[in-house]
Amino acid sequence: MDTMDKDILEYALDHALRNGVEYAEARAHSVHQEQIVLRNGVLEAYIQSVDGGFNVRVLADGGLGFASTNRWTREEADATVEAACRLARASGRREKIQFSEMKGNEADWRVEEKEKVLDVDPESKIGFLSGIDKEVTAQGVEVPSRMLQCFIDLTEKYFINSEGSRITSYVPKVACFIIISVKEEGKVEQAMRQFGYSGGWEAFDIWNVADELAHETMVLQRVIKEGKPLQPGKMSLVCGTEVVGIASHESCGHPMEADRILGREMSQAGRSFIYPGGPYWLGTRIGSDLVTIVDDPRVEHSYGFYEYDDEGVEARPRYLYKDGIINEFFHNRETAAKLGVESNGSARAVNYDREAIVRMANTYLLPGDMSEEELLEDVKHGVYMKSFTEWNIDDRRFNQRYVGREAYLIEDGEVGSPVAKPTIEMTTKGFWSAVDGITKDIRFDAATCGKGDPMQGIPVYTGGPIIRLTGVHMK
Amino acid sequence: MTDLLERTGALVKKAKSLGADEVIVKTTFGRRMQIRFSNNEVDISKIWNNYLTDVALTWNKRVVATEIRNFERAEERVEDLFKLAKVSQPNPMYGGIAGGTFAYGKSKADGKISTLEEPTAYVEQAIEAARAEVPTGLNTGGTLYANYEDVYLVSSEGPTGRDARSSIELSIRAFSQKQASGHGVECSSSLKDFDPSRAGRKAGEIAWLAKDPVAGEEGTYDVIFDPLITGSMLGTYAMMASAFFVMIQMSVFGNKLGEKVASEIVTLRDSPASYSVANRLFDDEGVPARETVIIDRGVLKSYLHNTSTAKIFKAETSGNAGLVVPEAWNVELDPGGLSREELFGEVRRGLYLTNTWYTRFQNYAVGDFSSIPRDGAFVLENGEIKGSIKDIRISDNVLRMLGGMAAISRERQHIHWWESQYPTLSPYILIKDVKITRPK
Repeated sequence: MDTMDKDILEYALDHALRNGVEYAEARAHSVHQEQIVLRNGVLEAYIQSVDGGFNVRVLADGGLGFASTNRWTREEADATVEAACRLARASGRREKIQFSEMKGNEADWRVEEKEKVLDVDPESKIGFLSGIDKEVTAQGVEVPSRMLQCFIDLTEKYFINSEGSRITSYVPKVACFIIISVKEEGKVEQAMRQFGYSGGWEAFDIWNVADELAHETMVLQRVIKEGKPLQPGKMSLVCGTEVVGIASHESCGHPMEADRILGREMSQAGRSFIYPGGPYWLGTRIGSDLVTIVDDPRVEHSYGFYEYDDEGVEARPRYLYKDGIINEFFHNRETAAKLGVESNGSARAVNYDREAIVRMANTYLLPGDMSEEELLEDVKHGVYMKSFTEWNIDDRRFNQRYVGREAYLIEDGEVGSPVAKPTIEMTTKGFWSAVDGITKDIRFDAATCGKGDPMQGIPVYTGGPIIRLTGVHMK
Repeated sequence: MTDLLERTGALVKKAKSLGADEVIVKTTFGRRMQIRFSNNEVDISKIWNNYLTDVALTWNKRVVATEIRNFERAEERVEDLFKLAKVSQPNPMYGGIAGGTFAYGKSKADGKISTLEEPTAYVEQAIEAARAEVPTGLNTGGTLYANYEDVYLVSSEGPTGRDARSSIELSIRAFSQKQASGHGVECSSSLKDFDPSRAGRKAGEIAWLAKDPVAGEEGTYDVIFDPLITGSMLGTYAMMASAFFVMIQMSVFGNKLGEKVASEIVTLRDSPASYSVANRLFDDEGVPARETVIIDRGVLKSYLHNTSTAKIFKAETSGNAGLVVPEAWNVELDPGGLSREELFGEVRRGLYLTNTWYTRFQNYAVGDFSSIPRDGAFVLENGEIKGSIKDIRISDNVLRMLGGMAAISRERQHIHWWESQYPTLSPYILIKDVKITRPK
């Protein structure tokens, strides 16, 4: 890639160290991006760009300074380093920032593409995506609006720091984001779907986007034609993998981010119901003993895949809630030092001009031992919420709501007619404590997690098996 | 900087020489600074220098675009882009870009923002102002941004312009207890109108009022929305006013031009005004940015257009390009006749909500949504705050809320922060019969 000069990066790090800082790092990204936008099967625009630049982050006098540029000259590197050092020293912190201990890592890792993205010419990509659109409209369902976007992101990184880390990586990512509107009897229902993969163009063979969307159109049509509102009350709720994934991400992943717990995101994405001295901390029960939620960056070809984080720390699985107990937070080196542990490799940045902050990767509930049939057969009265539409959660990550997109009534263990917009609105502890059954098969969905200021939309997987909650209030 | 305009123009000539039908090149040199703070201390300070050239070209109704950051290879990138256009697909609906020459006026950007070396003092002012509102123990966090951009635009269809854009913004959230907080923002295009203490005072005052909250009750309430939460709502209307979002059915305003979509007291306009952090002379086609009335006394008057979407809707561009997606610059809700105090006096029993986040839709075309109030949320009785509440959710509909707008304050505030993508000029508003839910 032509937007990276490793010698300039080494030069910048040397310059920072000559400035007498406590710690310095430099991180370069070189990114080839493509965005293909189709509206109702017609190409709106094809956007292709090559991005690249580097940042320098220093710890000096207990303060952090960060500066970035996309000009690869020694003069610009000098100015960038000087700016980062000046800003760090000007922060005037009373409580000095420290980083947790780590040894320097040397690594060169990459994700392979079976079918290289750049070997598929633009004409073929457009044709392939147009083909998906054609299949969606061939189901006999009126789909008046179809917005299909394909994103390609091939990122090469080089990370170096004053502790001897030298890490080179290459990660290709392919993603699709689709919005469809189905019209029936004068009414409109909508669905948004996202697909994401670390690897090559073979992603489309794995996703089967056309079949997935065809299914969505028929589901939405059926909801309009047959969906009835739910009679509110206490009942069982069976959550499909998509719902389990979002709940794991929102009400386990986010509140376990140590920067939130320590208040660093307080004015943006908020804090957490977990905080030092509060009623919930490591060792506190938050769910039934069936509930173990893991975040593992090393799920092969996952959308959130990485081997080393953006502070050079090796990635490993994090057991967040374990057997229903709050077990381990996400850490970068700053939060780890503050809580007296080692970083567990959770620092991620979307580009060279963003600081690495505490992030999730692939967050999912571990499977149980039941089949779907076994899970359903004990439900006397309830709802099977296979997928969601509206969702949100408060900025402590305790009060959440999920509204069903594809959902069915369950009576005496039998899945029946569609339910229109069944809603669950309950606390994090209430949700996970009500889990009394988990199936053995697991599925992932891709998502873009929003956090940071400026915003950093980071690729993640959410997922899990199917679960059953008993005795919850639905409306 | 004249050489930057020449270099920008040279890329237009290059693309035309290759055979492109239309070409727009925009070069931006941006200097941006940020200070992030929490727990009353600076966490990190950042500087970004960004050199960027955006190129968009068309060939036989094929639309392609790129960003160039390596200027040594800019001409090569334009050649690559033209090759991409040749193997791309035509868009029969594509309606072209703006032609002609325009007089743009003069930028009022504040050059002092471009030379700010180290603005930590503004953060300290805001923190101190917040802490002065509370006897002890206030914890604050937030962000300060200072932005300055030089922009050069050359279009093969005539428009050529230079703009400078400046802004400074501070956002501060204050906690008097773990679940008692207030938020204030201060935004301006110039240093002389920027008062970070104002944001700090508001955050501190609300945080103190919000102490010892109790769980709120489900029900239907008359609700006064603070300018901060009004800003989030106006941002939703701004997105939905874009002709592109109307076309993809992500808007409640589809097929409603000329129809009543809001209470008669609602006049909503988009304005790239010089006070705004979105100040600008022209859009991404080089069309002069100007005021557009979106809703006039409750009636939907116009969508926001670029040249291409305008052609589809048989309208004129409103100077809001985005090459593909027209976007609002700065949304203003016209003021009403009541002071803030008079507005509160209109409520016999209701709620005062100061902020929100996480607004999500079941269906953008229908407008059913929910959103979670955060920071101070209060019960009102006879215009007076009678208690602090928590754990509630607004679960309503965009059109119903627009129709339920009953009163608007004279006071307005310029709002832009992390949760509000679009800058707005937002008053206090009173909406009748707002549906509130809570977890069970």
